[in-house]
Amino acid sequence: MVRAASALLLVLLLAGWEVYCRMAGVSALVVPLPSAVLRTLWDGLAGGYLLPHLWVTTAEMAMGLAAGCTVGFLAGVLLAEVPMLRRLFYPYILASQVVPKLALGPLFIVWFGFGMTSTVVITALICFFPLLENTMTGLQQVDPNKRELFRMLRATRLQTLLRLKIPSGLPVILAGLRVAVVLALVGAVVGEFIGGRQGLGASIIAAQGMMDSTMMFALFIVITLLGMIVYQAAAGFERWLLRRPWKG
Amino acid sequence: MSFVSIEQAGYGVPSGGTILDRIDWTIGEGEFHALVGRSGCGKTTLLKLVAGLLAPSTGTVRIQGQPVRGPGAQVGFVFQAPTLLEWRTVLDNLLLPVSLERRPRPADRRKAEELLDLVGLTGLEERYPSQLSGGQQSRVALARALVTEPPLLLLDEPFAALDAITREELQNDLLKLCARHRTTVLFVTHDIAEAVYLADRVAVMEGGRLRHALPVPLARPRGRDVRYSPRFNALCLELRHAMDGSKSDVALERAS
Repeated sequence: MVRAASALLLVLLLAGWEVYCRMAGVSALVVPLPSAVLRTLWDGLAGGYLLPHLWVTTAEMAMGLAAGCTVGFLAGVLLAEVPMLRRLFYPYILASQVVPKLALGPLFIVWFGFGMTSTVVITALICFFPLLENTMTGLQQVDPNKRELFRMLRATRLQTLLRLKIPSGLPVILAGLRVAVVLALVGAVVGEFIGGRQGLGASIIAAQGMMDSTMMFALFIVITLLGMIVYQAAAGFERWLLRRPWKG
Repeated sequence: MSFVSIEQAGYGVPSGGTILDRIDWTIGEGEFHALVGRSGCGKTTLLKLVAGLLAPSTGTVRIQGQPVRGPGAQVGFVFQAPTLLEWRTVLDNLLLPVSLERRPRPADRRKAEELLDLVGLTGLEERYPSQLSGGQQSRVALARALVTEPPLLLLDEPFAALDAITREELQNDLLKLCARHRTTVLFVTHDIAEAVYLADRVAVMEGGRLRHALPVPLARPRGRDVRYSPRFNALCLELRHAMDGSKSDVALERAS
């Protein structure tokens, strides 16, 4: 019911937009007609122009997400388990959190050149922090009674980590993953703005160069849909993991 | 021969406070002892010394003649809260003490199922803790502590959060389970009736010292009717006087 209403709202908004633009004669350069955007989108997808770009952005996002989350999770485990390392590194980690990672983009182009590598690195760097932070928090929030239970049962440190701390911190860790997924898309698209030859972000810059607002809107739609799909996938993965507790 | 012997055991914190002051106590094999006292009197600390979770600052604790140096396999421990792993099934929770040592064998599963049977949880093996009532969770925690058949069981106010009827049921379950293998038990509680109902001997703690010891000469097995007998009530009253001891003396002095 609410879903239908929400879809109807979209149709009404698009219709209003179309009618207003036609009546008021708004230039397509400023605000394109929705019908024109949809046609461009369809042509782009059916004609195959958008597909390689979509593929490149998805690949960059996936690689950056995988690399950033893996390293972030492992670093989070290490810092949570070894207080000495935490005290040593935490001020630096905090400082590097504050640095706008996208501002490092130009430097990465110098280091890794134009193209996928620098975008993947930026994406990974952006995904690293939410995983690190949430893993550390999750592992340290274990119920003290349960720790005492594991001590009483003479569990080894590794057993305590794998069978108590990680499972009990899992909800917090997965919340970090959900944040990272959204940030990964931003990282990939904006990384392409700076140093991409291919991909949805690079295509936006190309369309801007040709004053093709219609294409830019079509690309926004593709990026939004991509973001919604990966977010839903991450949320589904989270629900699946938390409903079927893992065997340790 | 005494199974547990606590010799001049003391425990202090670095900030200078003395939590336990030269405690002497022995528990014979197969005996059920209760430790009562107001909150903050140090009874949980004493229990943790026996468990090996804390090391005494002075004196020693011996189990079967051996000084306790850390948590050992011969001790089962039941915490105040059920402390079950929410992401594991009842059966997995029950087998946790085994599975931390080795892969559970079919014989371990049979033993776990038998214990579940004894505490009336047959058929709930595949449930998760969140799907159980408070009383059922406490039963799982009790069964988990006994799954490795430890000769010594330590309990820290395990039934304090339960309603009166459920608590009585669990007390009976506990007596039944401990009688099976003649488990030696030290049970910490602040509930006088619970201590008298369960124990052979009750120690009263106050301000980090043992003030009083009371034998409970009620016949076993004890049933519901025992709770309403005059002897039971007389023992409860005696224990109550022992707990109030120093305070009521002060009150009397003031009154006179």
